[in-house]
Amino acid sequence: MNMRSNSSSMRAAHAGILSSVWKLLRLRLRITYNSFRHAKLRNKIGMIFLWLLLLGFAYSLFLLSRWLLGLVHSPEFARYAGVDLQGILATIPTVTLTALFVGTLLTSFGVLLQALYLSGDMDFLLATPIPIRAVFIAKLLQAVLPNFALFSLFGIPMLFGLGISNSYHVSYYPLVILLMIFLALAAAGLSSLLVMGVVRILPPRRAAEILGFIGAMFGFACSQIGNLASSFGRNMDFSGTRIAGLLALSNTGWLPLNWAGQGLVALGESRWLSGILLVGATLGFAAITFWFALVTAQRLYYSGWAGMQVVARKKSKRASRRAPGTATRIGLLRLLPKPVMAILQKDFLTLRRDLRSLSQLISPLIFGVIYTLLLFRGSGDPPAGRGEAPDWFTTSFRVVLTYSSVGMSLFVGWMLLSRLAGMGFSQEGKNYWMLKVSPIRVIHLMASKFLVAYLPTLGLAFVFLTVISIMQGLSILEFIYSFIAIVMCLAGMAGMLLSFGVAGANFTWDDPRKMNSGAMGCFGQILTIIYLPLSFGLFIAPLGLAQFLEFPLIYGYLAGLVLGSTFAAGFAIIPLWLVRRRVERLGTE
Amino acid sequence: MPENLIEARDLAKRYGDKVAVNNVSFEVYGGEVFGFLGPNGAGKTTTLKMIVGLLQPTSGTVHVAGYDVQTQSRLAKAACGYVPDTPNLYAKLTGRELLRFVGDLYDLDRTQATRRAEELLRMFELANAADDTVDSYSHGMQQKTSLAAALMHDPKVLVLDEPTVGLDPKSARLIKDILRQLAERGAAVMLSTHILEIAERMCDRIGIINRGELIAVGTMDELRMLDKTGQTSLEDIFLSLTGGAEEAAIADVLK
Repeated sequence: MNMRSNSSSMRAAHAGILSSVWKLLRLRLRITYNSFRHAKLRNKIGMIFLWLLLLGFAYSLFLLSRWLLGLVHSPEFARYAGVDLQGILATIPTVTLTALFVGTLLTSFGVLLQALYLSGDMDFLLATPIPIRAVFIAKLLQAVLPNFALFSLFGIPMLFGLGISNSYHVSYYPLVILLMIFLALAAAGLSSLLVMGVVRILPPRRAAEILGFIGAMFGFACSQIGNLASSFGRNMDFSGTRIAGLLALSNTGWLPLNWAGQGLVALGESRWLSGILLVGATLGFAAITFWFALVTAQRLYYSGWAGMQVVARKKSKRASRRAPGTATRIGLLRLLPKPVMAILQKDFLTLRRDLRSLSQLISPLIFGVIYTLLLFRGSGDPPAGRGEAPDWFTTSFRVVLTYSSVGMSLFVGWMLLSRLAGMGFSQEGKNYWMLKVSPIRVIHLMASKFLVAYLPTLGLAFVFLTVISIMQGLSILEFIYSFIAIVMCLAGMAGMLLSFGVAGANFTWDDPRKMNSGAMGCFGQILTIIYLPLSFGLFIAPLGLAQFLEFPLIYGYLAGLVLGSTFAAGFAIIPLWLVRRRVERLGTE
Repeated sequence: MPENLIEARDLAKRYGDKVAVNNVSFEVYGGEVFGFLGPNGAGKTTTLKMIVGLLQPTSGTVHVAGYDVQTQSRLAKAACGYVPDTPNLYAKLTGRELLRFVGDLYDLDRTQATRRAEELLRMFELANAADDTVDSYSHGMQQKTSLAAALMHDPKVLVLDEPTVGLDPKSARLIKDILRQLAERGAAVMLSTHILEIAERMCDRIGIINRGELIAVGTMDELRMLDKTGQTSLEDIFLSLTGGAEEAAIADVLK
């Protein structure tokens, strides 16, 4: 038996690269298949539905692009558009293939960082008698395949649609796919070199955190760019002539990345010499780049140089001076029990130092800044009207309008609280055992988590309120009243979100972005969206009512304080009281 | 008469039909190191987690330092230190910050906590890395930090789950010495381990758990008497009691 197993392991040692790569890819396919097989029935149906939807989408895109591109060939359309449409069409392959290359280069970075340094299977694979090059090729393919599939979903229907509408030569179609594969592989190879370079400077885990932070910020910025562009970019020229000019300028022959697209168009139009030269050069360059990157990355990894950080670790002396439990207790915080203060400081330090968590906290801030700017680009003054509205209506409406901009502070606070309170317990993750085995009181634990969420939100809301008050010209009385309303409304919201966070606490995550508390978290957010206008409305409505009934405004303020504060305090305390027993059981499996 | 610091009575944990721990009863006295042995999946970690209050027993009781872990959990926890098998520590705190944080959780006086943290950092040779965040530590350093955290409040009872896994021989020796000193000062130390040599050398008494049942408890001499095959080493006794003797015989043939 020993002899037989030895001879088979010797055979594995002499296996070719391609068969080894295939073996590793088969393993990955098996893992994917197993995850599908063991998934819940509704997830399976969902996945099949999603795939069918994607295929349908790709086919629709193909039909749409063929129709649209056929349409732009008509002379009437060209006359109407007033631009050289054929010139624009000729740039489509270049733009698509460049996007594929750059996109793969950027997106593969994170996947390769994970696959080469953080997945933990590299040591296992390198210890087996599989050629190291095969391991690297398999890892690169794994990194590139999902993104390639995504690009293909958009790119292939578009390029094929272009080919059909322009009646390109038949050689155009297989070459589209071949060029896409070669460019994606070259990009993944370069990305692996980039990964090797970065982990020489930063530990892989830190690099992943920074990448997550940049990704989150970029994603958030992209999501808000529409708002900014429509508000600030009114003078920008988005005319067809301008776009055509930009595309023609970018399609220069000096950039090797453009050769692929230009070559495809040339072959499609049966300009054989230039087409073969450009496509051949691209394929050759891509193959050399991929091979060079593969060999270099493999050597760097195997020799250990890529993992050897060249920057000496900076020791945080400041951190030790501000260690939890030793920082100066300020003002009222002095009254807090030691364990509460310790958790408060520990959480603030952790949130600040973990960039992936920090990115979740910065998003509401950016959101707030953007929307405050948008708010104040519109004057914020009530509409002038035609002077026919009764006095009581105008005055009441003005009161409501004044305070509605204050509501922006609450909305920004809601975004921050959703993260801080909703995941207050979940953010402990696998470290929760440390709190669980300590003799901390449940009330102290809940108080600390409440304060961790409440204090920064209150601070942020206060800053927003101050800015809004200055820009809107609120009186001191209006400012103080608004601040009290915000203090109370946020407290109620923190209580609610924290309670839902307790109900849906999840301590099993590895990536902070995946700690969300599932259905409970969503439910909490939906309820707080209902709670927010109600509770703020109870502060504001009595003011309008006092104006309407022509009572002195002070009665409105007093009624608002009593009604709003009681309502908000109830929501701050009752949900937490209801989940106190659940907190005792948390982490007790 | 030594003080009875851990007392488990008919302790059981069931997950649906699966019985993880079945009516286990034992005591650990002050001044002794109690080894808890058993094959993989025998119920060692489950038992330890019930002792420190991380798991709620399905039935039975545990008393730590005289306090019921279920009804007087805060008092029981204040007397107990725990080192888990996987050192999940706050990755973004430095070693020093982590120890001071633990000191505050146990409500230690600030000066005392600072002094104790520095002592432990020096003792575990972590002083040079004390201002680095825990995520930059090796597994062994994290294991030592975890033990240092458990010792911050000088517990009367120390529960350790596989404390020497992943440690270099020097650190493993250091931990053995510390545990022995702790026991000599009157604390009760209970540890689970797979390394029978450690259990044989370090532990005053040993409990062997198999398939959730405690099948033997006693000193080495008592275990030898219990085993009818007349084996002398703990390895042989363990294999004989847990039914691994046949596998050991096959392994001998293959050598």
